[in-house]
Amino acid sequence: MKRIIFLLLLAFEFKADLVLEITESASKPIKIAILEKNDNSLAGQEIINVISNDLKRTGEFKVLGMDELLSIPINESEVIQRDWLLMDVDSIIFVEVQNKDNNLDIAYSIFDISYNETEDKRRVLGLPDSLRQSSHYVSDGIYKYFYGIEGISSTKLMYVTRNGDTHKLIISDADGFNEQVLLKSNNSIISPAWSTDAKKIAYVSFENNRAQVFTQNLATGKRNLVLSSKSSVSSPAWSPDNKDLAFTSTKDGNSEIYTINLESKKITRLTENLAIDTEPAWSPDGKNIIFTSDRSASPQIYEINVRSKLKRRLTTEGNYNARASYLDKNEIIFVHRSKTDFNIAKLHLSSRDLEILTSTKNDESPCIAPNGNVIIYSTKDGNLSYLAGVNISSKVSFKLPALYGELKEPAWSPFLR
Amino acid sequence: MKNILISLFSIFIIFACSSTPIEKVDVQETKTVDLTENSQQMDNKVIMSDVGLGAAYITVLFDYDDDTLKEESLEELFTISRLMKANSKYTLLVEGHADERGTREYNLALSERRAKAVEDFLTATGVSSFNIEVVGYGEEMPVDNSSNETAWSKNRRAELYFIK
Repeated sequence: MKRIIFLLLLAFEFKADLVLEITESASKPIKIAILEKNDNSLAGQEIINVISNDLKRTGEFKVLGMDELLSIPINESEVIQRDWLLMDVDSIIFVEVQNKDNNLDIAYSIFDISYNETEDKRRVLGLPDSLRQSSHYVSDGIYKYFYGIEGISSTKLMYVTRNGDTHKLIISDADGFNEQVLLKSNNSIISPAWSTDAKKIAYVSFENNRAQVFTQNLATGKRNLVLSSKSSVSSPAWSPDNKDLAFTSTKDGNSEIYTINLESKKITRLTENLAIDTEPAWSPDGKNIIFTSDRSASPQIYEINVRSKLKRRLTTEGNYNARASYLDKNEIIFVHRSKTDFNIAKLHLSSRDLEILTSTKNDESPCIAPNGNVIIYSTKDGNLSYLAGVNISSKVSFKLPALYGELKEPAWSPFLR
Repeated sequence: MKNILISLFSIFIIFACSSTPIEKVDVQETKTVDLTENSQQMDNKVIMSDVGLGAAYITVLFDYDDDTLKEESLEELFTISRLMKANSKYTLLVEGHADERGTREYNLALSERRAKAVEDFLTATGVSSFNIEVVGYGEEMPVDNSSNETAWSKNRRAELYFIK
C-alpha cells in the first residue's frame, strides 16, 4: 500500500497541457454513478476520478457526484432501486481495485437499475504505475457497453505546439496527460502521421530549410530521412501494412504523388500533370489513394487506384476541397469551402451526400479517431490556432484550447491494444 | 520502478476467461529528439548557405490561390534579370509563401509554384536556371500573423534573395 501511495503522488505530478472543454453536449446523455466496491481506497478514488473525467469528456455521459446521491451502496446487494429510479439513473458502475503481487488490477461491473441486476463484468490487469492507462481501459469498456462503439480514452494524440520560435512535436494521452516531446526544433513541423502499428511516426520538418519527410521510431528516437532531394518532400501517409509511404514531392519539377517502399526504397510515381497534386491518404484496404489536385482550377479531391492508376474525381460541390481522409471505405472527410469559410465536411461516396460538420472559420487538418466516430481538427481564434473536435453520431463538440502559444496539426493514434 | 516516469502504454489482451473478459496493460518508452541544442544537420546537401541574411532583395505579391505574376512585379523582375545576365556568378534564392487560408500541404505546393513562376519568368528572359534556387515554405513563415485580408495579401508572396 505504501508503494501505491508513493506512485499516486507521482501520478499527480503529470500535468495536462490539453484541457478539453465540451462546447456542445449530447441531447440525452446516459446518467451513471461510479462507486468503489466494498472499499474506499486512495487508489480507488483516483481510478474513479480518471474514469469519471474520461466519460464526462465524451459529452455523452452524466456522471453523478457523491453529493448528488440519495444512498451510497458498497455493493450490488445494497442498491435500493427506487432511490436510483427517482434520479433517472441508468446504471451504477462498481469498481474494485485488486492490489497484490505488485499488480494493480481493476475489476468492474455494470449494474443496470431498471433490471436491478449486473449486466456486464470485466477486469483490466495493470501495474501500479499504469493506473491512469488501466482506468482509461475501464472507461473504454463502459463506453462500448453503452454505445456499441469502441471507446478512445486509452488512445493517444500527437500534435504540434509553437511558442515563439520553438516548435514541438508532442504525444500525450487522449486526456492530455503524460506529454512526451518527440521532436523539438527551431523550424516548422507539419503533417505528423502515425504508422498503423503505432510504433513509428512520419512528419515534415523544415530543419534543413526546406520541407523534408522523416520517419521516427517512438521507442528509440531514431530518425530516417525518407528521401534526400533538392526539392521539397512532404505530406507522408503510411500504407495500412506500413510497408509503403505515400508522399508529395516536386523532385520531377512539379508537385506529384509518389509511394516509396520503405525497405527496398523503390519509388513509384502516381500522378502526372501540370497541376498541384498533394495530400495523399490511403483507403482502409490500401488499394486506393485519395489526394488533392487543382487540375480543374480549384482544389478538389480525387481518388487513384494504386495499381491500375485509374482516377476519378470525388468532390464537385464547393470551391475548395482538400486534405481528405477515409472515414471508412464509403465516406471521406476533408476541408471544404463553399463561400468564404473553411470547414470540415463529410462526403458519402455513393450517395454524394455532403455534410458540413463544423462551424468555425478557418478549420483545417481534420483527423479521425480510431473508432471512426470522432474528428479532431485545428482552428483559429484570433491569431492563435487550437484544437477542436466533433462526435459524428452524437454531434457532441469540444475544444482543446492552447494554454500557451499555438496548438495544431492533430493526429489521433490507432488503437494501442 | 524505472518505468514510472515514462509512459507510452501499449495494452493488449492476453486471454479471456469464460465469465470475465480480461485485458492487460504494458509499458513502452519514447525518446525526445532535440534539434535546438546542437544544430546538427541531417542532410548537408540540401542546406542553403546564408539563407535569411538581410532583407529580401525584392518581394513579389500574388492573388489568392494563384501563382500568376502580376504586371506590377514585372519591372523589378526585369531588373533582376538584367543584373543576373550581367553577372553569371550571382545565385538567386526564390522563397515562395502562402497565406494561412486552406490546408498547410496544399499551401506548401502553392508557395513552391509561386517561387517557380518567378524562376520561369527569369529563365524565359535568358537567366540560367542553374543560378536560381527555389523553395516553398507554405504558410509557415507569415510576415503578418493576423487573420485579415491586409495580412493575407502581404503573406502571399515570393521573396528574392541573392545568396552568392
